[in-house]
Amino acid sequence: MKTLIAISIITLVALALVSQLHFAHAQLAQQTSAKQYINLRAEVWNEFFRMTTAAFTVGAIVSGTMIWLVWRFRESNPKNKAPTKWEHLDDPTAGSYEEEGH
Amino acid sequence: MVLELQKPRPVWQIMFSTHHTDVGYLYLVFGIVFLFMGGVLAMIIRTHLFFPGQGVLVSDSATFNRIFTVHGLTMLFLFALPVANGIGNILVPIMVRYKDMAYPKLNAIAFWMNPVGAALLWLGFADTTWVSYAPYSIIRAPGPAADMFIFGMKILGISSILSSINFVVTIVKCKHPDLPLRRVPLFAWSMLTVSLMTIVAMPTYAAALIMMLTDRLGLSGFFNPFAGGDPIAYLHLFWFTFHPEVYIFLLPAIGMMYEIIPRFSRKPLYSQASGVFAFVMLGIIGFASWGHHMYSTGMDFTTKVVFMIGTLAAVPASGMHVFNFLATMWGGRIRFAAPMKFAVGGIALFFSAGAGGVLNSAMPLDFISHGTYWVVGHMHLFLIGTIGFGFVAMIYYMFPYITGRMYNEKLASAHFVLMFWGTVQTFFTQHLLGLEGMPRRVYDYPTEFTSWTQLNQISTIGAWMIGASFAIFLASLIYYSAKGKEANMDDPWGIGGKYYYPVEAKNPHGGHSGY
Amino acid sequence: MGHDTAEWVFVAIVIAVLCYVGVDSWIVQKEVEAVPADAEVIKVTGQQWFWSFEHADGTKEISTLHLKKDHAYLFEIYSKDVMHSFNIPDWVVFEDAVPGHTNHAWFAPNEVGTYPIQCREYCGLLHYNMRGSLVVEDDKS
Ligand code: HEM
Ligand SMILES: [Cu+2]
Ligand SMILES: [Cu+2]
Repeated sequence: MKTLIAISIITLVALALVSQLHFAHAQLAQQTSAKQYINLRAEVWNEFFRMTTAAFTVGAIVSGTMIWLVWRFRESNPKNKAPTKWEHLDDPTAGSYEEEGH
Repeated sequence: MVLELQKPRPVWQIMFSTHHTDVGYLYLVFGIVFLFMGGVLAMIIRTHLFFPGQGVLVSDSATFNRIFTVHGLTMLFLFALPVANGIGNILVPIMVRYKDMAYPKLNAIAFWMNPVGAALLWLGFADTTWVSYAPYSIIRAPGPAADMFIFGMKILGISSILSSINFVVTIVKCKHPDLPLRRVPLFAWSMLTVSLMTIVAMPTYAAALIMMLTDRLGLSGFFNPFAGGDPIAYLHLFWFTFHPEVYIFLLPAIGMMYEIIPRFSRKPLYSQASGVFAFVMLGIIGFASWGHHMYSTGMDFTTKVVFMIGTLAAVPASGMHVFNFLATMWGGRIRFAAPMKFAVGGIALFFSAGAGGVLNSAMPLDFISHGTYWVVGHMHLFLIGTIGFGFVAMIYYMFPYITGRMYNEKLASAHFVLMFWGTVQTFFTQHLLGLEGMPRRVYDYPTEFTSWTQLNQISTIGAWMIGASFAIFLASLIYYSAKGKEANMDDPWGIGGKYYYPVEAKNPHGGHSGY
Repeated sequence: MGHDTAEWVFVAIVIAVLCYVGVDSWIVQKEVEAVPADAEVIKVTGQQWFWSFEHADGTKEISTLHLKKDHAYLFEIYSKDVMHSFNIPDWVVFEDAVPGHTNHAWFAPNEVGTYPIQCREYCGLLHYNMRGSLVVEDDKS
């Protein structure tokens, strides 16, 4: 869990930096052309690309986690032979997380 | 043990019953029938758009406009709401340990308003779009279709208020005294949240419909700019109701996933408290974002910012649901039977829809996305990806309980694979179409942009896959409810533990000995 | 790490991302809403089912709009009947035409060419065909 969180935070920081690069890039492109007006469509599309970078990064983390979860905790996984500690209950979903609390 | 189909009761006995499970079946059957009717319209739309400029299947835009309008209305008000109410009717009284809904007769009345509303919508076949913006719906939409639409929606709106009152009273007042509200299962919490939201939101739309009707009759000019009114007022009233309403469509599906995911992970839910908290948060914050549908109507900067913040504020609560689901699966021993497949697929699509939603709330991106196929793609990731998947999961889950028989797991897998792939292909592609600028609600599109044609065709092929998957669904629902293997009613999937709710509760005349 | 901490960390990350989205779109929106002072006004009128344009000097055009490269233009958008939405996708120009209201959009084209104009709000029968074109020409003068 800890490493996972650490990785997510690092990725998010990286993401923030990358998008700033995009931004700087857009501004550079604007300085070189001799226009006194801002380039509306470039501004909006750059925003779009920054936002999709964010969305896809978070998406990669979440869907990566999901795929791993599905693969790791399917009952057919050999690592997963032992019953969960709630399975002896009448209704495993009615158990609790308290120390062996049942 | 009552096996519904082994000891069939005459249909009229169910139809005139006020018992909560019977009314629940009526809602379910009604909703599923309209899922297929709306689905046929969707197939017509998509097939038509496969062939630009040729008028295949639909040869005039008037009919086309009517088709997508009725498709939208049907799916939202005749499929999504009734199925949620159906499952709610069956399970909520059991979950709060009461013998029936609080007001059984009111319950039956609320249901029987649905066929009337449905008849008005389908016989009228209006072309107003489901949002029916003024002034088109007032000065141009042809009657009597548009008037029948108004009356139909009016009736469906009243019905949903009545059933909401019933759910609120059942859950809050009739629950077993030993059961504290915070321990009530999360599906019942989702029904409680959406019922409260309906009671707050729906009257506004009901008023707007009356104003629209009198405007159409020329008696007033609330929304008619040529009689001194303002169409923007209609948009505010409409979205004040219908932004919350999108959560009303959505949350029951989330509640169903809360039923299914711990069960098939063989593990307790990660956190009941955070589920309750997230429902309540969404229920409140859902009212703070309606303006994001109106960024382009000439809204000033400050108002846009306010609504953007309101929209973003609702995101953490949805995120908490996703977290809760994933944390519940973590460390489980998961059986991927059909209900679990659909539930997990639904979470994945719910997440993608939400990520797209965050993009929508960013004000400048509205220039690119609003009113294009991006929106169609985005909303269907919620509508079919989350609501559709959640409901299908729940229908498979309840199948043994309702019929006493087992569906076929292989066919259900085929249904899942086709539907998941098809949904991704159809609706992710529509996002790209939107970015290429294709407007929504168009009968035809120019062929000089080849990418429009290609993307539309890819999207349509995905839609056909969804169609095929639902053909499998329908066939197996019918076949296996009559001919399926008898289910082990204690534990149909053999996942250990007891199958969830007492079967006796289904029997209207049997004693509810357990409680 | 208790199982509640993990959730709080998750929520905090989500909120951080949302703040980033909010601030970034605030900045960009502020920037693109600032209309240049020397923008030339073009009146755009939507009606079922075509667009008409009126230049500052009074010249009128229907369906096809001719503009000059490297000039800023401010569209004043009107509707004569129902709601429409004025849209030039290639230039990210988009604003509703609402009867009884005057809405605005601006842009400064910096490339010559022909670009489609369309309607992006449902307006009835021929909504799909409410199309026009924008021709951006070199400024000869
Ligand atoms: C087989 C799956 C489905 C397909 C292929 C499909 C297809 C479509 C298409 C192509 C449109 C756009 C029409 C247009 O803008 O020209 C549309 C609109 C819509 N759909 Fe679906 N749909 C499906 C399922 C659903 C479901 C399950 C729901 C709701 C629960 C739904 C609700 C809507 C709504 C509300 C609209 C908007 C109608 C309007 O613009 O007035 N759809 N659908
Ligand atoms: Cu909304
Ligand atoms: Cu239009």
